[in-house]
Amino acid sequence: MFLRDYMVVIPGWVFFLIVLGIGILITSVTWALILKRRVEDRTKKLKMALEKAQEADRLKSAFLAAMSHELRTPLNSIIGFTGILLKGLAGPLNEEQKRQLLMVKESSQHLLALINDILDISKIEAGELKLFPSRFDLRASLEKLIGMCRHFTEKKGLYLEFNITEGVHEVIADQKRLEQVLINLLTNAVKFTEKGGITVTCTADQKNYIISVKDTGIGINGNYLPLIFEPFRQIDSGLSRKYEGTGLGLSISKRLIEMMGGKIFVESEPGKGSNFTVVLPKNMEGQDEKESSLDRG
Amino acid sequence: MKKNLLLIEDNEYNLYMMSFLLEKNGFDVKVAKNGKDGIMLALSEKPEVILLDIQLPEMDGYQVLKELKNHDELKNIPVIAVTSYAMPGDREKILQAGANGYIEKPINPDTFISDILKCLKDGS
Repeated sequence: MFLRDYMVVIPGWVFFLIVLGIGILITSVTWALILKRRVEDRTKKLKMALEKAQEADRLKSAFLAAMSHELRTPLNSIIGFTGILLKGLAGPLNEEQKRQLLMVKESSQHLLALINDILDISKIEAGELKLFPSRFDLRASLEKLIGMCRHFTEKKGLYLEFNITEGVHEVIADQKRLEQVLINLLTNAVKFTEKGGITVTCTADQKNYIISVKDTGIGINGNYLPLIFEPFRQIDSGLSRKYEGTGLGLSISKRLIEMMGGKIFVESEPGKGSNFTVVLPKNMEGQDEKESSLDRG
Repeated sequence: MKKNLLLIEDNEYNLYMMSFLLEKNGFDVKVAKNGKDGIMLALSEKPEVILLDIQLPEMDGYQVLKELKNHDELKNIPVIAVTSYAMPGDREKILQAGANGYIEKPINPDTFISDILKCLKDGS
């Protein structure tokens, strides 16, 4: 009755529009509801994925910490007892026994270096490695490291020269990590040099210290140059058979120096030698401020 | 005069290795394999220095440290943590918990004794 009345009043095209409108409305609402549900679903899934990723991250960190701990405990006995035996504290040794125990000692130290390097690189990759900057005397630190290195160059009959210019004094950096990088460069230089020797120089400009470790060793083939700062490359290249090492040292060094706001690069010629240069900001903490104020200026 | 030392360590081989090395270097070594025994020995022996492992069964090294430092008779005995906890930040965490020194495992048998003496000198 009513409907018929309206139909009389409302022209056909208006009625059509109203029906169309209602249709569109219903479709839109349905779509909106479906979309809302989908968004909720996706959000839930994303949240779950994020939680899963966070959990995986947490497990990875816990695993690394546990692995480090569990490997160190037996290694402590191996290194400890080997040292005790080598010192003759448990009785005298003949030459052959000493020789073999020295090999145990070297192998266990290599294993320890591997553990430390793998942990370092994992921490760096996960963005979990924290630096502890402090103010210290770069000259004293360099002299200490060169002193430590001298024993090894003398053993191989290599020269070891150093030239630290007058302006080299205080630096704000992570001392332990910087020394780790420099030790890595120095031991690499000794390892890959059979004749000639090693020259360490350190100069300063306004903002940076420039430290270079130059050797007269085997050098690096141009094809490998871009790769040497990537993890495990020494192992890839088949060099590991001749030269021991984890192949992680340089990639760790690069990351550490970059975290301190610096740069590391290499120039090398096969057969002539290599020159590794570290550009280290005098103050790793002031680095960001300076750069951003420069940007603004 | 032999230095009286208490070693708290749960790993049998590490315990043997370190006490052997310490005794050969003139220390009088008492050993405990867990925190509770360690604290009891500390009370009865009044050692001049305590070497403390951190991962220990039941009562861990942090709890042992807390007990030692809360005890009037024991709080002045220097405690050196000798531990496999060597991730970044562990050293700071352990020193903050009251240890007077920190030596990372694996120990270096060539410098272990001088490391201990250095910790004692720095701590006092």
